[in-house]
Amino acid sequence: MNCRQYDNNVLQKAINAVIDNHHYHFLYSSHMASISSFSLAITMSLTFMFVFMEYNQDTILVALAQPKEDANNSSTNSQLSLSKLIGQGSPYYGNVSAPMVIADFSDFQCPQCKRHVDNTEQQINSTYLQTGKAIYVFKHLPVRGFDSKPASLAAQCTNDQGKFWEFNRILYKNQGPIDSGWTGAENLKKFASQLQGLDTNQFNSCFEGKKYESFIDKDVALANSLGFTETPSFMIMNADGSNPQRIEGPKPFPFFQDAIENLENGKES
Amino acid sequence: MTKRIRSSTKNFRNTILYAFELVYLSNPILYLGISVMVFSSFWIFFNMLDQLLFFSPIVYFYIPDDAILGFIITNTSATLLAIVFSMNVYVIRNAKVRLDKSLLSGSLLGIVSSTCASCSSVGFLIISTFGGAGIIATGFLTNYQIPLKLLSIGILIWALYVVYNRITKSCMVNHDDNNKKERNKIN
Repeated sequence: MNCRQYDNNVLQKAINAVIDNHHYHFLYSSHMASISSFSLAITMSLTFMFVFMEYNQDTILVALAQPKEDANNSSTNSQLSLSKLIGQGSPYYGNVSAPMVIADFSDFQCPQCKRHVDNTEQQINSTYLQTGKAIYVFKHLPVRGFDSKPASLAAQCTNDQGKFWEFNRILYKNQGPIDSGWTGAENLKKFASQLQGLDTNQFNSCFEGKKYESFIDKDVALANSLGFTETPSFMIMNADGSNPQRIEGPKPFPFFQDAIENLENGKES
Repeated sequence: MTKRIRSSTKNFRNTILYAFELVYLSNPILYLGISVMVFSSFWIFFNMLDQLLFFSPIVYFYIPDDAILGFIITNTSATLLAIVFSMNVYVIRNAKVRLDKSLLSGSLLGIVSSTCASCSSVGFLIISTFGGAGIIATGFLTNYQIPLKLLSIGILIWALYVVYNRITKSCMVNHDDNNKKERNKIN
């Protein structure tokens, strides 16, 4: 007897059972329907919960993680002003007299930061930096692994010799898995040695002496005070630090266009 | 040998088609509806977690070069989830069995591995709550994201195989048991 015949027998028995016992069948069907509806409801709820969390991080995750200051208050504005950012020694490129500042809080170990550098940053560069409309400032947010901070320390040391952006590109180009040792001291020195014209002795003494440890800690504290919960995160504002627009995560270029449009129109984030 | 392989492949294809036919033709609106709903939910869910799909402030979808492989894998996961889920609903409605565990573990693993935990805000929350242990856990999830997603596909294929067996081999009725029951009833 083949499978189909068996199945017909089973079906016939099921039909007989239904005829014999309508009540049981009704209860059984409704019970199973409830289970399947319940499972679907869970799936849908999970989806909507994550959608909600994704776009309400300010109120959910930040409240759980750390207290957040209002990004628009005066103390934050003064910290985000271009003169202050440059004065502190943050790496930057673009027109110093540009009316807008794009502050990028990134971790060299984060794959999403690499995605931003490989895709969106190039579009930002050609649209806003090359045209002199904005200046791009790098802030360190080395929180993704134990080896993130050494990478930031090394990168900041290359900034002393005006080689930060070249080193930045080398790090992202050679990015490996988190905490796999690719940002070990020896590797970082090897990457730095690829920079033409870099004084290796000066770099080594800066890196080994952890010259910029407190500087990087201040960058992390600033990111925390702004309530950033993702890498990369961005703050786009006027050169005086006013009207900051937040972007969290490796958002595609249209999000930056939207934020810059809001900034130009004077809308608050 | 080649003939045998061909015929077994043909048999397998026929039984697979038979399983699909049995489920989707028994109640097309219900099962296709469930499949579409589950696929859409998980497609949205996975692509949001992978930071490819956005809803606010603008609706936007893009696939950068580094995300192509992940996108193919998540589409496969969502399709498998949709099929396995509707087939499980069919089995539940037509037999006295529980939901297959491999469906739950496969979907859960797919969700967890899709989160790119260390970069998203969920990862940040884990790190700020659990400190060093959180860094290790989120680092592991990020580094092994693709293998974990492939593993979840493997589990879902297993779930599909299990549910397909339940549907097509539901005919394996133990006649001795049935005969005994019937005899007991008569007595």
